[in-house]
Amino acid sequence: MAEIQQSGGNDGGKKRAKKQSTRVDMTPLVDLAFLLLTFFVLTSTFSKPKVLRMIFPEKLDQDNPQLKRPEVKDGLTILLTGNNKIYYYTGSLKAETEIIPTDFTKNGLRKILIEKNAPLIKILKDLEIELAKANETDTATVNRIQRESKQAQQESKLVVLLKHDNEATYENVIDVIDEFLITQIAKYFVVEDNLAEMETELLKKLNEQ
Amino acid sequence: MPKVKMPRSTPALDMTPMVDLAFLLVTFFMLTSSFRSPEPVIIDPPSSTTEKQIPKQVFMVIIDKEGRAFVDITNAAVKMKVLKKMLAQFKAPGLTEEEVKEFTGVGPIGLKMGEIKTFMGLETTKRTAYDQRGVPYDTATSKLDKNELYYWAKFTKLEAHNDYKERENEAKLKNLEFDKSNYIQFAIKAAANAKYNVIQDIIEVFREAKVKEFQMITGLESGPES
Repeated sequence: MAEIQQSGGNDGGKKRAKKQSTRVDMTPLVDLAFLLLTFFVLTSTFSKPKVLRMIFPEKLDQDNPQLKRPEVKDGLTILLTGNNKIYYYTGSLKAETEIIPTDFTKNGLRKILIEKNAPLIKILKDLEIELAKANETDTATVNRIQRESKQAQQESKLVVLLKHDNEATYENVIDVIDEFLITQIAKYFVVEDNLAEMETELLKKLNEQ
Repeated sequence: MPKVKMPRSTPALDMTPMVDLAFLLVTFFMLTSSFRSPEPVIIDPPSSTTEKQIPKQVFMVIIDKEGRAFVDITNAAVKMKVLKKMLAQFKAPGLTEEEVKEFTGVGPIGLKMGEIKTFMGLETTKRTAYDQRGVPYDTATSKLDKNELYYWAKFTKLEAHNDYKERENEAKLKNLEFDKSNYIQFAIKAAANAKYNVIQDIIEVFREAKVKEFQMITGLESGPES
């Protein structure tokens, strides 16, 4: 009460507005902003994961007597085993088939695949060059090139089978499929069954040597 | 000589540009970031050279090293429908409407249908501690009626198709352009060191449900792994 009266008493004097700066202390605001910033930086994911497409054939009736195991006459069979080991052989499986060990590097599996798939790679490359030269508005030519490249893929003679044993990891399989995509293999299959008996024996023999 | 008088003032910095900058960055990160969905397991997928982006809508199966399967559907409406069908199929204790709605935000789950009621009854903070044993799947065809993963796949495929048709019709009615890319696709996110046999078993289950095409999630996410 006393104070109010006192202020009332001051009314008589000259009223002078205090010169106060209108500045606001921004520091807490900065603190808050950086806190939020840190939160978003740490929780956000930048690159979305990529995907690799895999298509499997429709399930066949197990009792179907016509069910045939895929047999490759002059194709390539890749065998995956534990400890990141990879082997391959060409042609159909016989007692004297030679199983050759290789690796996941550029000079291993990729070299073999490029060698085997050379005819298709060449056709596709030629078509690509033609496509680059072609006028974009010329849809007839573009369509024809696309059709031709599809046809070349369908007519590709190379069939690659990927087999694995109980120890093979998912990473190995994805690595091999990735190589297939890089080398533009048109026909490849991931075989469901484990290694054939003969393959296991041949591998054993190879590892004993 | 007269002494030079230093102005007596507190050393104040003008913070305004700093605030501007900080908020600019905050806005940028807020708009560009997509939150990592809470995952019950941390998976380290293998890397590959593909450039293909993950589809917008997926039915995701997460497979960890031990072969536990976790499922998630990114489309909330479809997830709710599938959940209801799953609960009815396995005669599991039903959820309330709110719990069903809440379930869509839980992220991947690896539970038996019978466990879901208990799980949803828990407080949000206690859910992470719940021991999820994975969605049961047994590859023997004779036990298909008990194979919960099979039904997850089957119902999702069905509902995804319905959802697609529904949106297509809606777009036609309103004369809008129809975004075909929103179709729910099946994605597998598996640990790099998982045995391929396990993945193959799961793929077999999906093939039983007439799912043939898979998007294998690869490439490491660049966010810090907690």
